[in-house]
Amino acid sequence: MKIYKYECRRLLWNKFFFGIGLVLLFYGWQVLNRVTILGVSRTAPFSPWSFGDYLSRILPLLWAGALFFLSFFTSVRAKRADILTDATPVIPWKYGLARCGAAMTGTGLLTLLCLGEAFVFYGWYFNWYQWEILLPTVTAALIPPLVLGLGSGWLLGRCRPWLLYVWMLFPFMCRVLPLPKALGLWDGRFFTEYPQTLGILDPVFSMPASVIAVQLLAFAAGVLLLVFNRPAGRGTRRF
Amino acid sequence: MEIKIENVSMTYPSGKQALKELNLDLGSPSLIGLLGPNGAGKSTLMKLLSAALMPASGSIYVDGHPLSKMERTLKAQLGYLPQDFGLFDELTVTQFLDYMAALKGLRRPKNAIREVIRQVNLEEKAKARIRTLSGGQRQRVGIAQAMLGNPSFLIFDEPTVGLDPEERIHFRNLFSHAAQERLVLLSTHIIEDVQSVCDQIVVIHQGSILFSGTPAQMIQAAEGHVGVFWEQEAAWEEGLHITARVNTSQGIRCRAVAKELPSFVQPEEPSLEDAYLYLISGEVAQ
Repeated sequence: MKIYKYECRRLLWNKFFFGIGLVLLFYGWQVLNRVTILGVSRTAPFSPWSFGDYLSRILPLLWAGALFFLSFFTSVRAKRADILTDATPVIPWKYGLARCGAAMTGTGLLTLLCLGEAFVFYGWYFNWYQWEILLPTVTAALIPPLVLGLGSGWLLGRCRPWLLYVWMLFPFMCRVLPLPKALGLWDGRFFTEYPQTLGILDPVFSMPASVIAVQLLAFAAGVLLLVFNRPAGRGTRRF
Repeated sequence: MEIKIENVSMTYPSGKQALKELNLDLGSPSLIGLLGPNGAGKSTLMKLLSAALMPASGSIYVDGHPLSKMERTLKAQLGYLPQDFGLFDELTVTQFLDYMAALKGLRRPKNAIREVIRQVNLEEKAKARIRTLSGGQRQRVGIAQAMLGNPSFLIFDEPTVGLDPEERIHFRNLFSHAAQERLVLLSTHIIEDVQSVCDQIVVIHQGSILFSGTPAQMIQAAEGHVGVFWEQEAAWEEGLHITARVNTSQGIRCRAVAKELPSFVQPEEPSLEDAYLYLISGEVAQ
């Protein structure tokens, strides 16, 4: 618990966290005021589709933030500190759990910041507070990619610290590459294109099986990578 | 604590053989100085003893049990200061030591932290962020984390690097005090540090042990192989290992070590540094 507390302090009490928080708030407000307010695919601004579009636009920044948190554990500087922590009797998976928990906490706080901003936006402009109908959208659009980002980022950062920075570009690339429809939540097109295929105005939020399968796979892959990835620098090296 | 190293060899993936069939017994209480030139294998040996590496062949036993089965037990009794290490710059000195205390499994570590901060003379910087510390102060934080929790086996790899002479003396005394009831392994390039406090010296060269014994035995081995002369011709230096060269008003006074001293060299009492250079130069010549 103490390690978790100190790792949270390292990750959250610094310029980077406040910096990315401000950037997220600024960018999020621009998206809400210029795009979401108009509604996407002829749906209300507070529909799960418009809200999902907002989430898909801020996802690349959240992804980059999550990977930045991991860089605290996988950078060359961090690996030099691992020489000291490796010489202690701490159980590696417990130590890894504390660090991973801190990175998840940081990512969760950034996510809450974006959701809080949307909460203020919807309340302010539309006096709308029915957040329970947006929860499936949050679950589907943010949790699988962020868990995959943390799991894959941990693996890549351990292999080569600089790979983490390259991997930050992945969701930005997804938005410009022509991806299959099953990956619609990754390029954001799902929220603008799928409701139009349903043939009704302002449809209830739903997802085709292929999109659900992709998100479940991403989530499972992320969890597996987090569970089976030993924390950076831990363990005895045998040559 | 008793540590037995049996026929340990270590080869890195690059193909470099860092240690060759090394045999060594270490027992507490004792302060053992590990000497050797750069790349001799000192740091590799320390990494093996801290269970950061596993040997390619051979075995290490801790109190009669194989290290591979005693890793956590060893680490619970270990204080390790590596040659090159990083600290968490975002934390203060006290917070970092509290973090390390948690990793070491210390309960209620406040007093232990206060004590090691006092031992390394960092009371004034206890609440300073690590990023604001100088190189010497960071080194002292490294020493403090190694000594935290009174471990029974201490490994210091170049602990006095970056410290001024007064601090070096302070830490030499601290290590000597610690060794009264513990096993302390001290690797350094500074012969003076070893001479002042170590009761046993191990000289490593090219992955093998050249010498293991007391400082007096090492000096004794160099007797008759150290001398001084006034340099008249540059050719006189051939076959000698010059350890000092002083320009004086009467000419250049040289101190040299050699397997056989020429007649123009006046024999002198060897110092530990001479003895070390005699050992190493003999190996290099071979």
